[in-house]
Amino acid sequence: MTKIEQATGGLMAVTVNVHGASVELRAVNEERLVGRYAYGNYMPNGVDRLLRLFQALNVPATFFVPGREIERHPGLIREIRDAGHEIAANGYALEDHSALGDAEFEALKKAHGIMSDFLGEAPLGWRAPDGLMSMKTLGYLTQLGYLYDSSFQDDDFPYRLDDDGGVGMIEIPQNPTLIDQNLFSIKQPDARVLKNWKEEFEGLRSVGAFVCQTLHPRQDYGVGRAPRMIKLEEFLRHTQYSPQPVVFKTCADIAKTALAA
Amino acid sequence: MTSRWPQDARCVVNITVDFDGLSNETGKKLLPIGKYSHGRYSAKRGVPRFFELFERLGIKATFYVPGYDAECFPAAVRSIADAGHEIGAHGYLHEAYDLGEEEPFYLRKTHKILTDLLGASPVGWRNPGGGKSDLTIKVLRELGYIYDSSEKAADFPYFPVVAGQRLRDFVNLPDNTSSLDDAPFYRDSMTPPSEVCEQWKAEFDTAYAEGGYYDLIVHPRSGFGSGGPTRAKALENVILYIQRHPGVLFQRQVETARWCLQNPDLWPERTHPWSGRQ
Repeated sequence: MTKIEQATGGLMAVTVNVHGASVELRAVNEERLVGRYAYGNYMPNGVDRLLRLFQALNVPATFFVPGREIERHPGLIREIRDAGHEIAANGYALEDHSALGDAEFEALKKAHGIMSDFLGEAPLGWRAPDGLMSMKTLGYLTQLGYLYDSSFQDDDFPYRLDDDGGVGMIEIPQNPTLIDQNLFSIKQPDARVLKNWKEEFEGLRSVGAFVCQTLHPRQDYGVGRAPRMIKLEEFLRHTQYSPQPVVFKTCADIAKTALAA
Repeated sequence: MTSRWPQDARCVVNITVDFDGLSNETGKKLLPIGKYSHGRYSAKRGVPRFFELFERLGIKATFYVPGYDAECFPAAVRSIADAGHEIGAHGYLHEAYDLGEEEPFYLRKTHKILTDLLGASPVGWRNPGGGKSDLTIKVLRELGYIYDSSEKAADFPYFPVVAGQRLRDFVNLPDNTSSLDDAPFYRDSMTPPSEVCEQWKAEFDTAYAEGGYYDLIVHPRSGFGSGGPTRAKALENVILYIQRHPGVLFQRQVETARWCLQNPDLWPERTHPWSGRQ
């Protein structure tokens, strides 16, 4: 095991992509956020439930927030921060960063500015909206002072991004099975999602890996509704009653741990 | 039941691994980063994990490698051959689409890349994502290939018909991408690995009962593959289950192909034990 693997094995990041109406606003304007375009409006309900659950289980989580959601729900996002969770960047309006071309750096700076002004400090982490990025993204993030990216799905442990253009940065890789959207978007019943998560967790723990879960506070492809929240609670408790319990950390803390290793 | 297999085996098992690194996404004009980074897992984690697993279980496997991945990950691909596994060709950019008249060019290109890298030519080929045409076998034979593992027409090996002639120097080792391939289960239905394991055991039970052929297809990547610890464990449990049965012969596909070519009369057009029809 490398030093980073030793330092981050057994840590778990619980991450939330705060995707409300910014998803639907890519397709329609404000007046049309009704009917089939109303799913994103559910988001605050999901965030409320997540905050209660994380408090009950003592989970420090990382919330990736698009700039547009900060503008639409400043009170809610402040509540998340005041509960002690990390707020990290996630674009402005869920742009496709693989297609922005020369406009990408400006877009990153805009979202970075909105979030920095709101928080009173610069965010340390970034996640590509929908996981889409360009070959230049990591270099831009380095220039803006980011400590980590969390957009890839290609490793069992965090790793250094120096060879990928993110000089001095850490990647906090996501686990595809532990992304709620991947399972709920193909309409898996909640019990089957929990089964998948538990099996994946046991496999990861058997090799001492790092664990990253990705959640959405939505009702369609997210974990926002109450029955799903109960399954999430069972899963998070399972990670603690395991013979090899994980330690919850924010992504920023994990990145600092990796950089110091 | 009379055996058709070497050593009077009751069932032959090929474990086949489609490397599918960056070629898969690059071939679809997607940048292999962010949510399309699953192929980066192959060389970094999946292939070493499979090596360790196969060595522990005493198995030699066949790895299908796209030419582009051999260019991107030469050390990892060389290590496959060094560990005694077979390397077959699998397209250049994992072309699941129709290449038209450019197909021979890309078949030759990948053939040269793999031959130069390994110092030996591949003799087996598997279509990437179903991409194959009426030109394919013609070109593969010119390049010295002796088998193809792409067809869905049978459960047993068989000799393909090309231009009205049934070949005797080139054999099809069928690949079942419906239920013996990890990708559909882990991509389309996200089936829990424990259930995939049970499915593959049940598939083996019928192959074993028929004195048959069992070709299990896995990918070392993240995402739809089996490279991660949970799914690699499911693969291990399947292999351990198979190994508890007497008379099972694990082979690389090249050995299975050579056996079929040396014993062509054992493989009539319709080869199911209960079928007398031709």
